[in-house]
Amino acid sequence: MSLTLPEGDLGTRLERYLEGLRNRHGLEESGIEGNVVRVVIDSESVPAVLATAREELRVLHLSFITVVDREGSFELTYELVDFRGARVRVKTVVEGTEPVVPTVTNIYPTANWHEREAYDMFGVAFRGHPDLRRTYMWQDHFDHHPLLKSFEISTKRTFEGLR
Amino acid sequence: MLGEERRVEHHSALTEPATVRLINPDVRDEFGLETIDMNMGPQHPAMHGLLRLILELDGETVVRCDPVMGYLHRCQEKIAENRMYPAVIPMTDRLDYFANMHNEHGYVLAVEDLLDVEIPPRAEYIRVLMCELMRLASHIPSIGFLMLELGAFTPILYAFRERERIQSIFEAVTGARMMFHYIRIGGVKADLPPDIPEKIWRFVEGLEQNFQSDFVDLIQGNEIFISRTRNVGKMTQEQAVEMGLTGPPLRCTGVDFDVRLDYPYSVYPELKFDVITDTGGDVEASYRVRIAECLESIKIIKQCLEKMPEGEVMADMGRRIRPPEGEGFGRVESPRGEFAVHVVSDGSDTPYRVHYRDPSFVNMQLLQEVVPGHYLPDIMPIMGLVDPVSGGWDK
Amino acid sequence: MGTVLQYLNQEPIRFLISFGLVLFLVLNLAAVLTMAERKVSAYIQLRYGPNRVGPRGLLQPAADVFKLFTKENVSPGRSDLWVFLGAPIAMFLPAALVWLVIPFAPDAVMADLNVGILFFVAVTSIGALGVVMAGYGSRSTFALLGALRGAAQMISYEVPLILSLLGVVMLAGSLSFVDVVNAQGDTFWTWYFLPLFPMFITFYVAGIAEVKRVPFDLPEGESEIVGGFMIEYSGMTWALIQAAEFASMGLMSAITATLFLGGWQPPLPFLDLGAFNWIWFGLKTALIMFTFQWIRWSVPRLRMDQLMDLGWKVLVPLTLIYLFVVAAAMLVFQEVL
Repeated sequence: MSLTLPEGDLGTRLERYLEGLRNRHGLEESGIEGNVVRVVIDSESVPAVLATAREELRVLHLSFITVVDREGSFELTYELVDFRGARVRVKTVVEGTEPVVPTVTNIYPTANWHEREAYDMFGVAFRGHPDLRRTYMWQDHFDHHPLLKSFEISTKRTFEGLR
Repeated sequence: MLGEERRVEHHSALTEPATVRLINPDVRDEFGLETIDMNMGPQHPAMHGLLRLILELDGETVVRCDPVMGYLHRCQEKIAENRMYPAVIPMTDRLDYFANMHNEHGYVLAVEDLLDVEIPPRAEYIRVLMCELMRLASHIPSIGFLMLELGAFTPILYAFRERERIQSIFEAVTGARMMFHYIRIGGVKADLPPDIPEKIWRFVEGLEQNFQSDFVDLIQGNEIFISRTRNVGKMTQEQAVEMGLTGPPLRCTGVDFDVRLDYPYSVYPELKFDVITDTGGDVEASYRVRIAECLESIKIIKQCLEKMPEGEVMADMGRRIRPPEGEGFGRVESPRGEFAVHVVSDGSDTPYRVHYRDPSFVNMQLLQEVVPGHYLPDIMPIMGLVDPVSGGWDK
Repeated sequence: MGTVLQYLNQEPIRFLISFGLVLFLVLNLAAVLTMAERKVSAYIQLRYGPNRVGPRGLLQPAADVFKLFTKENVSPGRSDLWVFLGAPIAMFLPAALVWLVIPFAPDAVMADLNVGILFFVAVTSIGALGVVMAGYGSRSTFALLGALRGAAQMISYEVPLILSLLGVVMLAGSLSFVDVVNAQGDTFWTWYFLPLFPMFITFYVAGIAEVKRVPFDLPEGESEIVGGFMIEYSGMTWALIQAAEFASMGLMSAITATLFLGGWQPPLPFLDLGAFNWIWFGLKTALIMFTFQWIRWSVPRLRMDQLMDLGWKVLVPLTLIYLFVVAAAMLVFQEVL
């Protein structure tokens, strides 16, 4: 059961990925910079786009999911890696202070822990996630999400509710 | 529509719904047997750090394995938002404390991606030299730890003798044995002392000569080692890629992904070395991959020492490091896998967001997925396959 | 002087004195073995062992014992106290009792039982009971796992242990240790380890398993179930378990030396030391103890199912087949033996 990794020239592969994503989904922005295919979509179509990337374009590895708190909206970055020099960077912006994003765990199972970390640190809820628990913080009596800009680093705030 | 279909065909612990895994009703089969819930708790002498494993055991067989992390969480990503760009480097040292140079390198690559600065070639060679020495200093103790958890108490002391020698080289070059703060934005902190290349050369030659007898002969053919590690933690390539593994755990299944060759950075395009893969997919295969990677690192170190150009070691960066608004990405091959850093800048002195993708964090998913079905004593060799470091998974 | 010795040689004074001597020997053996273990392990691992207390560290056991006397004996809150405290005693007794039947020198044996080997086998079985008591009385999951593993291991390895003893019994024609040593001549090629070589290896391996040392130390598997059945013991109770473990290691070495290496017999007739033959006995026992330690620090440990496989699927058939070989050989070469 061995895996075949993508072959061929980097430039043509990047073009193919961009075309593949453009043809199947409505993208807000898209382009190629260096060896990255940059794509911006809206949050509800994240599973569809990532499914295309994995199934048809054979971009097999989800490297990380970054959440940036823009104080009023959240910006998620999914970095997909195709093991041979190309990267696909999928960005989406979720408005509001209680963000909900559909999960991609059934497409890239490795997203399980990345999404848990995003939930723990930012409060981003992932709809359909099989096991949305906190990774680092206390599970039971800690209602804050530490990496939000509104969470101040100070002892009083951190231990509120625990003492 | 496409997202709702269950794509992952085989039974994977990472995609099972929580109700099946977390809630444990009192399941008694027709004999009245039930499972034991046990905790291999955070205080454990052989746990690679502070990790709590919630285990459910059916006799000696593990039915469910849940890692609970966070005992060493130091909020590094939050603190980095309040520090200036150069001041974040000592904190990256403390992420994965067996691969300090790689962490620094990853972060510095991300910031240099934002700044778009030209690094002098001598600095690049020194960075690669230090990173490969660090890889040696990480792979050799990881073999020692694997043997320690299997019950052989001697190889780890041989391994730490080599690591001590490497650490004294690091002390001569950087001033510190473990937390170096050496790779800076724009180059490295200071040039190598004049007698260090000779010392590194002699050390590497000695290691290459004694490597076989110290680390391979007593271990690889040992009947007990083979029976404890062969077919333990066996994964297919599909499983490994789905779990997001990188580094030796991925290469031991046969997928030849190495960031140094596929996403080259620094001077790796000018150096010749091979990517080590093995087809076993079990703990013994990961042991062989690490052994061979040590020898490859020795090759790279020798090439670096031969090819190192003269010149300065720090680019002209100015007094303040204030990158323009944007995002920077850095990706290196740490001994544990792919270490990536994502830096978001808003034009001020401090980063707006720093995100570390640590390989130990992602590779730990292997424990959830692969351990169920194995015996309790097999957990330790499987952790030796992953070789996590607690500073890595906990940030 | 002669009358004093003759008076002391009467029962029961003789027995009491020799029993006191043996207890002294066993406890000191345990202490010295801890020191020897640490030094041997240190030199294998390219370091010095303890070398501060006393000349070259020789008084380290005294410091250890003193420290253990001053420690608090903690027991888990919900533990079954009688079982918990009785376990170290149940583990120590077999290690101490069997020394009564081992001959140290010609005519120097405390109790010349004519069923000495049977006594040895019966008493060593109590050790398994001690392990289960320790694990059950501790009321902790790790201890329970260690106890179950320990019980399974010790009971399974008693079978090859006893089967390999049968070869010795057949060759010597008696169950008494004294007879066995006397039957092995005073030349090293007539000792039983040569004609009974597979039995010797089996007894050695089963002996390591009975003492629960690496590669069979899964009941106290340090890497997963830290301490296993003795995880909840501290202070003097723990010291007693450790002493029991080292004393039984010494005991297994002594019995291997007695049954297969000739006991107090010198390797060549002109090296006979008469009443001082206990020096030969001591040397052989020390050699086997050293090999126990050598193996401990060199190899990893076996997993439970591999351990059981080794015991039941390898050692038992080996000894059974070899028993037939020995019986056939005895029939054919009747005049030689």
